Amino acid sequence: MVTRTEEEEVNRLENQVENGGGGVWEYLCLVHKLKLRRSDMVLKHGLSILNDSKKRSALGPEEWTLYEQVAVAAMDCQSIDVAKDCIKVLQRKFPGSKRVGRLEAMLLEARGLWSEAENAFSSLLEENPFDQVVHKRRVAMAKAQGNTSAAIDWLNKYLDLFMADHEAWRELAEIYVSLQMYKQAAFCYEELILSQPTVPLYHLAYADVLYTLGGLENLQTAKKYYASTIALTGGKSTRALFGICLCTSAIGQLTKGRNKEDKESPELQSLSAMALEKDYKQRAPGKLSVLSSTLRSLKI
Amino acid sequence: MGAGFLVGVIGVLILSHATYSTIQYRALLKITEEEFSGPPIDVVIELIVSLVLCLWAAMAAPGNFKSIHPQSEENRVVALPANLDFMIFNHRGKIFPLETELKLK
Repeated sequence: MVTRTEEEEVNRLENQVENGGGGVWEYLCLVHKLKLRRSDMVLKHGLSILNDSKKRSALGPEEWTLYEQVAVAAMDCQSIDVAKDCIKVLQRKFPGSKRVGRLEAMLLEARGLWSEAENAFSSLLEENPFDQVVHKRRVAMAKAQGNTSAAIDWLNKYLDLFMADHEAWRELAEIYVSLQMYKQAAFCYEELILSQPTVPLYHLAYADVLYTLGGLENLQTAKKYYASTIALTGGKSTRALFGICLCTSAIGQLTKGRNKEDKESPELQSLSAMALEKDYKQRAPGKLSVLSSTLRSLKI
Repeated sequence: MGAGFLVGVIGVLILSHATYSTIQYRALLKITEEEFSGPPIDVVIELIVSLVLCLWAAMAAPGNFKSIHPQSEENRVVALPANLDFMIFNHRGKIFPLETELKLK
């Protein structure tokens, strides 16, 4: 997870690195640790370290992970030659390594040679059928070819084996959302909330999915999850605040005319509307009128 | 540092004074040939005061406490990591190649 402090640190280091202020290695380590996708920066600055033999040897054994990191970044930037060179260096150092074999297969993938890449991954799987990364690469390959249903099949098979892999659950949820299969996506987000209950973004995504599904029961649950998002972010999530307002108005429309005895926490909507107004006043005073007209149209 | 550190120094000084008084007291007992039953009350008070002061210093001097609440401003999660294991390469970045002179020497 990327917390607020870590995000600030990354942005500060990125600025410093871009302006030639040093700290390149710290930046690359942080990007690796937080699993950020800044391939262009990693490629450019990682190469500047790798091409300087003094800096490179100062890294010690970390040198080889840097080669790997740069190779993947180069594939992501379609700098096939750089990736090839990095893999060659790694191959010379670790002949017969599976980790390097994986990189080679990924290179085939980056070049768009799907059947060759498939063969390479299959042979890697034959040697070690429980290699999680290779399983995931196959899913990604199916997705890259636009074959989403195959990707879903692979992912479901993979999740039967490795149920605790939250990244795979997240990927599956995102694929389902992209296909508008919200019921299945909701199931995946439930899994994610179970495995990482303190991440507000999963609560938010789950609430979004439930709101999209609609129906009184779903809307009420969605409202609860928006509320838990607000609790977990300390009230800083604008999306969740809007979600509360939308849910309340939708629930109000559905239950119009019925007895309103079971109305729960009526102050929640007015509080979130107030929080929104305060936030807008502080950060975007120009858009305050738009906000108040929107809230009025929701009849809050 | 600063005030906390000073408090710690005072605490350690009081502790060493208590030690010194105890040694003196035992020497006195040897001269008067009485049994040692316990330290005198002023030493006990000194020990308690120095304990409190040293505790205070140990909390205050090394640094500030950090929040453990997930919803606090420093700890709140603002982004999920990119799902790198599922990264795909045929995205629109292909059409905008980076500087081509990048090379591994």
